[in-house]
Amino acid sequence: MLQYISRRLLIAIPMLLGAMSIVFFAMRVLPGDPCVAMMGDQATSEALADCTRNLGLNRPLAVQYVDYLWRSIRFDFGNSFRQGYPVRDYIGRMFPHTFILVFASAIVAALVGIPIGILSALKRRSPLIDYPLRIIALLGLSMPVFWLGILLLIVFSLHFDLFPLIGGGDLDGVFAMIASGEAFTQPRDFLMAVGDVLHHLVLPALALGFTLAATVSRLSRSAMLEVISQDYIRTARAKGQRERLVVYKHALRNMLVPLLTIIGIFVAIALTGTVLTETVFTRPGLGKMLVDAIGARDYPLAQGAITVFTMIIIVVNLAVDMLYAVVDPRISYR
Amino acid sequence: MARPIRLCLFVFLVLVCALAVAALVAPPAAEAQKKILNIAAKEPDTLDPHSSTLGQSQAISRFMFRGLTRFAIKDGKVTTAEVEPDLAESWTLSPEGTIWTLKLRKGVQFHKGYGELTAEDVKFSFERQINKTPGTRYGVNLDVIKSIEVVNPYTLQIALKAFDPIFLLRMVGYQNGYIISKKAAEKLGDQFKWSPVGTGPFYFERHSPREKIVLKAFDKFYAGRPQIDEVHWYDVPEDATKLIGLEKGTFDLLYPEAVTADFADQVKKMGAVIDRRGPGGQERFYINMTKAPFDDIRVRKAFMHAIDRKAIKETMYPGGLARVATSCLPDGYFGHIPMEFPPYNPELAKKLLTEAGHPTGFTIKNYFISKSFFYPKVLTLAQEQLRKVGIIVELQVVEHATFHENIRKNLDPFVLYGGTRITDADPWLSLFFDSKEIPDPATGNKGTNFAHYRAIDDLLVAGRVERDVKKRAAIYHEAQKRMQKDLICLPISDVPGQWARNPKRVSTPFDPEYGEFSLHYSYNYPELLKVLN
Repeated sequence: MLQYISRRLLIAIPMLLGAMSIVFFAMRVLPGDPCVAMMGDQATSEALADCTRNLGLNRPLAVQYVDYLWRSIRFDFGNSFRQGYPVRDYIGRMFPHTFILVFASAIVAALVGIPIGILSALKRRSPLIDYPLRIIALLGLSMPVFWLGILLLIVFSLHFDLFPLIGGGDLDGVFAMIASGEAFTQPRDFLMAVGDVLHHLVLPALALGFTLAATVSRLSRSAMLEVISQDYIRTARAKGQRERLVVYKHALRNMLVPLLTIIGIFVAIALTGTVLTETVFTRPGLGKMLVDAIGARDYPLAQGAITVFTMIIIVVNLAVDMLYAVVDPRISYR
Repeated sequence: MARPIRLCLFVFLVLVCALAVAALVAPPAAEAQKKILNIAAKEPDTLDPHSSTLGQSQAISRFMFRGLTRFAIKDGKVTTAEVEPDLAESWTLSPEGTIWTLKLRKGVQFHKGYGELTAEDVKFSFERQINKTPGTRYGVNLDVIKSIEVVNPYTLQIALKAFDPIFLLRMVGYQNGYIISKKAAEKLGDQFKWSPVGTGPFYFERHSPREKIVLKAFDKFYAGRPQIDEVHWYDVPEDATKLIGLEKGTFDLLYPEAVTADFADQVKKMGAVIDRRGPGGQERFYINMTKAPFDDIRVRKAFMHAIDRKAIKETMYPGGLARVATSCLPDGYFGHIPMEFPPYNPELAKKLLTEAGHPTGFTIKNYFISKSFFYPKVLTLAQEQLRKVGIIVELQVVEHATFHENIRKNLDPFVLYGGTRITDADPWLSLFFDSKEIPDPATGNKGTNFAHYRAIDDLLVAGRVERDVKKRAAIYHEAQKRMQKDLICLPISDVPGQWARNPKRVSTPFDPEYGEFSLHYSYNYPELLKVLN
C-alpha cells in the first residue's frame, strides 16, 4: 500500500508540473496585457511601459517561467498583480471558504441525490415513482446554479428573511478562536461564530448541492441498476430475504465502489460550480477568485489558484483510490 | 421505503431545521445601535488613491482622502469645474504664472495618529507620482510640475515648467490630487495600499478580501466628525444580488455595474432613488482616418449617416438614464460647445458609399469588441444599422483586456470607447486627439487617439499657455469645429454616474438629478451623507 501511495505521489509530480506549465503559457498566450487590463482607459504609453517593467513582464519568457517554477516549489506564488497581496496568503484565506462550500454541497448532493438515484432504480417499473424522480433529476441538471441561487435568495433571504444575503460568515474568526484556545474557554461565543458560518452556508450549499444532486442521482441510479442485476442479488432474493435487507446489505454495499468514483468526479464538478455559487451569494472563495484573476490577467493569482485546484483533484482521486480497498476487500494495492 | 433513504431524509431535515434556527441569531445590541452605511459595490483593487484606476477604488478613496482643493458647492449644487479651498486654505500665483504658493489649513490631522498635515506630506504625495513610484498611475497629470519647495510646515511653493491653466483643477481631491501621509507611506511601504492613511472623514479599519472593507468615522476630521459611524463596503459583483439587498435592507447604497431600464424600474418600484451625477462617462466612436476605407472622408460621413445615435441611446438608456451626446468633448467640461454631426440618413449614407466606390458596401472582418460593460450592446445595435447601408461588421466578442490590447494594435478601423476625465478640454482632448497618443504597435505606443488625428496639436499647445479664460475656451471651440469638419469622432451617449440609494435609510443634501458633479465617484462629500435610522 505504502509503495502504491509513493508511486502515485511520484506520478503526481509531473502531472502538477504539466498543469502549472499549461497555465503559465496559456495565461500568456491569452490576448490581453495585464497592465492594460489594470489601467484600462487611463493607460498612457509611458504608464504602461512602467507597469510592465514593475511587474517584471519585460523579462524573457523563459526567465519568467523558471522563476515561477522555482518559487512555486517553495509555495511562493508571488504577489497578486492587482491587489498586491501574497498569493499564498490570499489562497490560504479563500481555501477554507471554498472547502466548506464543497463539503456542505457534497452532503446535500449525497443526501438528496443518492436516495433519489436508488429509489429511482429500485422502482424503475413504477412509473409513478420513477418518472417524477427522473424529472427532478433532469430539472436539477438543467437548472443553472446561478438561477437557483437567485431564486433561493429571493424566497428565503428576501421574503422569509431566514438567511443572510451575502458573505461567508466570520470563518477567520472561528479559526482564530481555535488557535487561541478561546473555542474552549468561551464555547458559547465559539458556537455562535460557527453557527453564523453555517447560517451563511445554508443557501449556497443548497443551491450547489441540488444542482449536483442531479448528477449524483443519475450516476447512483445507473450504479444501483448494475448492482441489482447481479447474480448475488438474485440469489439473495431467491433465498427469500426481505427486499429491505437485499438492498441495504447486498446492493448498497456493492454500490459503494462506483459511488466512490462519483466522489472523485464530484469534486472537480463542485469546484467549477463554486465559481457561480460564490458570485451569486457573494461569498469569498477560490472559484470566483480564479475567474476574476483570469479576467484581470492577474498571472500569479491565476497560476496559484490553478495549482491548488490541481493538487486538490490529485489528492481527492488518490484518496478515492485508497478507499476502494477499504470498501471492497477484493481490491488490494501492490 | 428503504431504511438508509429514510435515514438520509431525516438527517437532511434535521440539518435544515438546525440551520433555520441559527437564522434567528440576532446581532449584538451595540452593533445594532451604530449608524452603519452599507454599500454594495465591487471590491477595490487597492486603497492607495494614487494607484487605483477602477471606478470602485476611486469611489472609496473619496471617503478616506482629501486634496488641496475641492469642487465648489454653489446654489446647493456641486459644480463641475470650479474649485474652492480644501486642505489648502489659500493660494497665490506669481506674475509670470509659473509659481504657485499654497498655504495649508492648520490643524488637519491624519488618521491613526500619524500627526498633522504639513507641506512635507503634500510634497511627498506629488513627488511619489512624478517620480513614477511603482504602482502609481497618475504621475502624467503632474508632469507640469518642475519642483516643489517646502517654505514652512504650512506653506509650499510649486514651480511649474510652464503656465498651467488647470493647475487648481489638478489639485482637487481626485486621483493625483489626494494627499497621503508621508510618514505612513514610508513606514508601511507596499502595505500602504491596504493600510491607507489620509485626512478624509473616514479611516480604514479592516479588509476581509472578497467580502468587505470597513471604514470608521474619523473623530478628528477637520470639518467635523461625520454622522455615520461606520461604512461597510461589500464586494458584491452581481447587480441582481445588489438589488435584492437594497430591497431587503442589507444595503443602503448600490454602485451598479450598469444602470439599465430594468434596473431603474426595480429601484423605483422598491421606493429607492437613483442619484445621477453628471457629466459622467461618454460612449463614442472614433474612426481611424488612416485606415481604408475610412481614410476617405465620404466613407466616414456615410458611417455617421448610418448610425442612429438617438435610437442607440434610447435602447441602451431610455428616458433620463443618459443623454444623447452633443460633442466629442462632453457637456460639463470646460471648453465644450455643441458640435453638429451628419444626421441619421441611411439613403444618404448609401449614396456617399457609392460615390466613394463602394456601391454594394463593404465588409469589416474580425472586428473586435469587448464582451464587458456597454460595448457589445452598443456595437450590436450599430452593427444592425450599418448593415442596412451595406457595411457588414463581423464581430468577434473578446475579453475586455483583449479588446484593449487589440484596439491599440489598430485592428479595428473604428473604435467604440468610453471614459471620464477631469473636466477640462485640455486633459480630455490631449488624451484622445493629440498625435502623441496615436497607438502604434511598431513603437509600442499604447495611446488612445484611435482616430489617428493630428489636426489639433497646435490648438492643444496654444490652450496650455493661454491665461485668458475666454480665449482659452475659444481655442477649444475651434478644436471641436475642426473635429466636426474632419468627421473623426461620433459621440453617442453621455452617461451619468449612477448609484441607487434607499432614501429612507440614507440622505444626501444634493438633488438626485445631477445635484453633484461626479468623476469616478458619485458623492463628493461623503461626510454629508446621513443614516436616518
